Amino acid sequence: MIQVSCPWCGPRNSSEFRYVGESKGRPDPNAATPEEWRRYLYVKSNPADWATETWYHRAGCRRFFAVERHTVSNEIRETRRPAAQLRLEGGAP
Amino acid sequence: MSDQPVGSGVPARGVPAIRIPTPTASPNGSRNTKARYPAKYSALSLFTHGLRGRDWPRMWRRHELRPSYDVVIVGAGVHGLATAYYLASNWGITNVAVLDKGYVGGGGSGRNTAIVRANYLTPEGVRFYDRSVKLYENLAADLNFNVMYSQRGHLTLAHNDSSLRTMRWRAEVNKLEGVDTEVIGPDAIKELVPYMDTSDETRYPILGALYHPPGGIIRHDAVNWGYARGADIRGVHIHQETEVTGIDVEAGRVTGVQTTRGRIAAPIVVNCTAGWATLISDMVGVKMPIITHPLQAAVTEPVKVFLNAVVVSGTLHVYVSQTDRGELVFGASTDPYASYSTRGSLEFTEELAGHILELMPSISKMRVLRQWAGLCDITPDFSPIMGITPVEGFLADVGWGTYGFKAGPVSGEAMAELIATGRTPEIIASFDLARFAEGRLVGEKGAAAVGH
Amino acid sequence: MSATRVAGAQATSAPMRLAAQPGEVIDRSRRLAFTWNGRPAEGFAGDTIASALAASGVRVFSRSFKYHKPRGLLSATYHDPNCTLQVGDDPNVRAAHRRLSAGIAVTSENTWPSLSFDVRSANRLVSRFLGAGFYYKTFIKPQRLWPAYEKVLARFAPGGIVEPDSPHGHFDKRYVHVEVCVAGGGPAGMTAALAAAAAGARVLLVEEEPELGGHLRYGTDADRAAAAELRAAVAAAEGIEVMTDAVVTGRYDDNWVAVVQRDVPGVFERLCKVRARTLVVAPGLIERPYVFEGNDLPGVMLSSAVARLVNLYAVKPGQRAVVLSANPEGDAAVDDLRRAGVEIARVLDARTGANVVRAEGGRVLRRVELGDGSKLDCDLLVTAVGWTAPTSLLNFAGDRPVYDPDAARFFPGGQHAANVFPAGGLCGDGSLDEIVAHGRAVGAAAAAAGAAGTRPPIPTLARRPHPALFRSTTHGTVDWSEDVSSKDLLAAAKEGYDSIELVKRFTTVTMGPSQGKLESVNAVAVMSEALHQTIAETGTTVWRPPYVPITLGALAGRGFENTRVSPMHGWHVARGARPLVAGDWIRPDHYGDPAAEVNNVRTNVGLIDVTPLGKLDLRGPDVAKLLGLVYVNKWAKLAVGAVRYGVMCGEDGVVLDDGVTGRLGDDHYLMSTTSSGAATVWEWVENWLQTEHPEWQVHVTPVTTAYASMNIAGPKSRELLGRLIVGVDLSAEAFPYMHVRQGRVAGVNGCFLWRIGFTGELSYELHVPAAYGLHVWEACFTAGADLGVAPFGVEAQRIMRLEKGHFIVGQDTDGLTQAFGADLDWLVKLDKDDFAGKPELVWQQAAGGYQRLVGLQPVDPHIVPAEASQLVEGAKTIVGRITSSRMSPTLGRAICLGFVAPHLTVPGTLVTCQLPDRRRIPVRVTEHLAHFDPDGERLRG
Repeated sequence: MIQVSCPWCGPRNSSEFRYVGESKGRPDPNAATPEEWRRYLYVKSNPADWATETWYHRAGCRRFFAVERHTVSNEIRETRRPAAQLRLEGGAP
Repeated sequence: MSDQPVGSGVPARGVPAIRIPTPTASPNGSRNTKARYPAKYSALSLFTHGLRGRDWPRMWRRHELRPSYDVVIVGAGVHGLATAYYLASNWGITNVAVLDKGYVGGGGSGRNTAIVRANYLTPEGVRFYDRSVKLYENLAADLNFNVMYSQRGHLTLAHNDSSLRTMRWRAEVNKLEGVDTEVIGPDAIKELVPYMDTSDETRYPILGALYHPPGGIIRHDAVNWGYARGADIRGVHIHQETEVTGIDVEAGRVTGVQTTRGRIAAPIVVNCTAGWATLISDMVGVKMPIITHPLQAAVTEPVKVFLNAVVVSGTLHVYVSQTDRGELVFGASTDPYASYSTRGSLEFTEELAGHILELMPSISKMRVLRQWAGLCDITPDFSPIMGITPVEGFLADVGWGTYGFKAGPVSGEAMAELIATGRTPEIIASFDLARFAEGRLVGEKGAAAVGH
Repeated sequence: MSATRVAGAQATSAPMRLAAQPGEVIDRSRRLAFTWNGRPAEGFAGDTIASALAASGVRVFSRSFKYHKPRGLLSATYHDPNCTLQVGDDPNVRAAHRRLSAGIAVTSENTWPSLSFDVRSANRLVSRFLGAGFYYKTFIKPQRLWPAYEKVLARFAPGGIVEPDSPHGHFDKRYVHVEVCVAGGGPAGMTAALAAAAAGARVLLVEEEPELGGHLRYGTDADRAAAAELRAAVAAAEGIEVMTDAVVTGRYDDNWVAVVQRDVPGVFERLCKVRARTLVVAPGLIERPYVFEGNDLPGVMLSSAVARLVNLYAVKPGQRAVVLSANPEGDAAVDDLRRAGVEIARVLDARTGANVVRAEGGRVLRRVELGDGSKLDCDLLVTAVGWTAPTSLLNFAGDRPVYDPDAARFFPGGQHAANVFPAGGLCGDGSLDEIVAHGRAVGAAAAAAGAAGTRPPIPTLARRPHPALFRSTTHGTVDWSEDVSSKDLLAAAKEGYDSIELVKRFTTVTMGPSQGKLESVNAVAVMSEALHQTIAETGTTVWRPPYVPITLGALAGRGFENTRVSPMHGWHVARGARPLVAGDWIRPDHYGDPAAEVNNVRTNVGLIDVTPLGKLDLRGPDVAKLLGLVYVNKWAKLAVGAVRYGVMCGEDGVVLDDGVTGRLGDDHYLMSTTSSGAATVWEWVENWLQTEHPEWQVHVTPVTTAYASMNIAGPKSRELLGRLIVGVDLSAEAFPYMHVRQGRVAGVNGCFLWRIGFTGELSYELHVPAAYGLHVWEACFTAGADLGVAPFGVEAQRIMRLEKGHFIVGQDTDGLTQAFGADLDWLVKLDKDDFAGKPELVWQQAAGGYQRLVGLQPVDPHIVPAEASQLVEGAKTIVGRITSSRMSPTLGRAICLGFVAPHLTVPGTLVTCQLPDRRRIPVRVTEHLAHFDPDGERLRG
């Protein structure tokens, strides 16, 4: 049972969380070609290396956040708030 | 390619023609190539060997790498070995190398729970796995090696009305495809598995089950070894401890592979790996819609045989059978997050034990002896990815999720046909890589998610 | 536990019991009676089952797996492969570890007809034909006979018996949070625990035996004194919790440590899950058997077994002994034997080249053949040829052990995770003082790990040179539990199974109940010999958890399988409702007659408990944007007080959920979801808000169980509700269809009423603060008695929704059904700028050619095709399937929903349906999905 450090709640057992998947940007729904859209839907980089993922604190604060995890050792080196939130805060006065 | 045997499939661009020695090729035979030193196994040979205290010849030999092969197969699991075997036996193509970074059958082929069945949901899935069952039924004789296929019957339990409906759906499609599958009720289940709690007092009452008499278990290692031996006898080179470190592509065509033992030139490279399928495909820049998750299994200490069917519960994420040695072999659904770790987790055994005791409360004092994990390449539609890729000569037989072992023979047969004829056999046509970009997913999602 | 107290008496039936020994752990004042294979037997409190039996003269405990050879005590530890016995309903009990208790029934396993005479031992006579893996080479043809062969093979399965009615028993779990967990309560483990505790750490100290002390317990007087001193220090120390008869069975990622505890009163086994900052691994060493012909005869024993039997249990291991010793532990066993009055026939010093080549005897050991060819009569052969480091826990943490040829054993490889610390004999040899010093340093380091500051240095333990003794000049047993010999391994290697992993799989060596703890290194050594390579080159197999077996019961624990029920659940039960398990929820399926329930709703008024419906309270200025993004239809113009139906799709365009959402105020909405989709939809909307649109101001509160929900349906529902409600005008003009109102019902404030109609009748969905749910529910029945009000269950609701042609997500759609396939053309608004799944729906509409959901009616109105019956053309071409079907009480005919191929969607088309019994019937595509009141006059009334 790995521990995941929620940016809001601190380290908790991974059973409190749901692994959402690799973090991916959403293409423009009105401009994307079928190939682009389906790459967004289906293709993951699936590295045997560090991966940036989204996790959800399902049995906790119910927040989504980004996780840097190594997919071989399962070590987590960083957790942070979702990119969109950090962008929003960065853009605020 | 007009002088080559023509398969039933559709022409597949991206498979370089290879010279097939004439006229030995016969799509259905397995006796054409003369074996070099086949040790014929039988009760009699066992007796005479024992009497004279003679050694048996090697199952498969060790070789130096040739500088080039007609076909290089990456991965000496059941898929790679079966492909090599059928290339040699059905098509007479023997200048073939099977490479593995470890040993024969050391990946998913030796870590699965060895369940064989054909009771899938979609017609294309049912036809495909049924062909595999048929090949398995004759495999011991084909390979002259007892693979111990025990067709003891396979039960998929339904604990709610929606899964009962899915079982009915599978049964009806199976019937249309001529596969023996039927929905049965709790009394019939109790008769097949007397240890099952079929009362309606339980948290997960058993409303019925999908009963599939041809399903069963097999000795997975024996299948791997038998194919390895059969391929070796026919001249295929099996190279263990030979890791592929790169794949050479020139002008969109495969030219060879780099290995820890040197370079091999080859016009055709087949990716038959599981767990590392994306990493091998990444070497040629082909992105696969695959996420790798560990799948865990466990075995108990032996007790006298009491369970004579394979029992599966999708709702409870558990499948169990008892080996002839008396051990219960369990598996579950894949781990909840992507990982290449095979270290195993405790929560898996906890959930598994909890759920198995929901089904069979009286076995609480049986002890789990060992747990292990294998890697499963999960695709979005729980169906494999087979056939050509955008890189000419680079073929895929990947994305085997939790159902790869049972498909070993048919996959080998079909991949061999694709390589030999340059045509995609009809039986794998719907499993092409292009289906994802084209939005033609296969509808196995409902049945394959946990339905082992 | 019943015990007979006979002060100072010696058990008369115990010929091998010695006089009192200084370190014995038995209580001679408490005799315990039990049965052994049906005959009365006796031992003392503190005995193991095996020591009690050995004291009474038993030498054969079991028969081997394949050849059914007699087997006696080998290591006299938990891992002894030769004395797993059946104790009552408990199979495969480690009788050399399990304490004796009064009244138990102990039987041998895998014997037939009896332990002393086992006909299957005839297998031995044909053993030359039954080499490892013989079954792969025979029973090949004819294949139809394999099932018969298989049945015979299965009869040879080893192990105990479980019965279908064996009681489940009581099991438990516990969580433990400590800084340092110490696996192993020998001198190194105890001092590590003491040092860690002294540094302020909370410590869990886990020991396999019933008391701390490790090998000191059965050592010299000085050893025992040292053990007592350490035990006392541990007992006095602050912050150390001790678990005995407990084992660390696994170390998982992030030091999630599993401990199985066997001595908790009233509990068969307990699984403790420990989150430890650091794990100290101090299991000591396991003595290795020697491979030679006859090494599995009863009477051939390890030196540590002798030390345990004599010193702990006062059991004389034999009468006349030959000892093969390569180390001081073997020499010490000679002293133990002398003290026990065993005649020493010969001590063979393996360090000077003396050797044993063969053990002979029938049922038990009779004589030994030595390296020089001479023979000695004896009934006990003790070997002390080396040790194995049980590095399992380190391996689980990523380590691969490394072989040291000078010390003739494997050592930790140092590759394990940084929060794991090996200690004691695992790491090297040394005097007790050196081991203690090592343990102390490791304990301090473990306590300091993760804290600021420098790590205390850990001294290196010296490695004692040891002769490399694995196999004599003859072949013998390598794996006792699997009946695998060195000859089998050599043959397998020659046959091409030429790596340790392949040979393991082919011969099953190390795959039995002791999982290689005794056998692994010998197997590696024999393989190295076969392959002409060093042991280091051969390497070991990968050790897998658990370190010792753990019961399914302990892993399962008490079994927490949640269920959820509504506040009205007791009311339903009292009225005999048949329960329906729907995910976590238990719901009333019906109250006896679903058709009558339908008729009552269609003519009078009925009530159904719909509490499991998912409900999300949405507040904020941007809710309409959120709704527009997650639903396929438009929401910007929904008026306050209005309700709208919506369908959600995933980004792949596949139907995800449906429900109605109402606008309660300017910035306040209430969304309902399907019961099964409640959690998914909540997560779905949070995902959009948090990861795509954090700039939107929307607050989501799940209120599913904050409200009890009930649907009051039927032509008389307005009249019934009118008798209970205050503050809401129920007239059709004031409260039209698809609107929402708030009011006071049966005296309860804060109720929401939705005028919607899944059943197709005039109906009100009432959401009541949960605590008042039962009150309002009962008030409805009281108030409506004269109106014929009656409850209806899920089945009646399903019939009525099918009559109305409302689809159910997941039943009438599947994992690939995109919105247009669900006949939602009227709902999907592709002119919206964006919504989840929009591109896929654009392309679906453009491409066409998809299966579509239609209404279907069998031409023969009396035949109800089973749900999932297939629609076919020709012999086996599938062109659709029935997704829902029922006999309609309202219409008196069979009705269905189903998917059909695009060329069959025209109303009136006849399609062939194959029933489960393979009969084929025609079914007709209907004009609407709705079979009844397609224009909705009833529900709008």
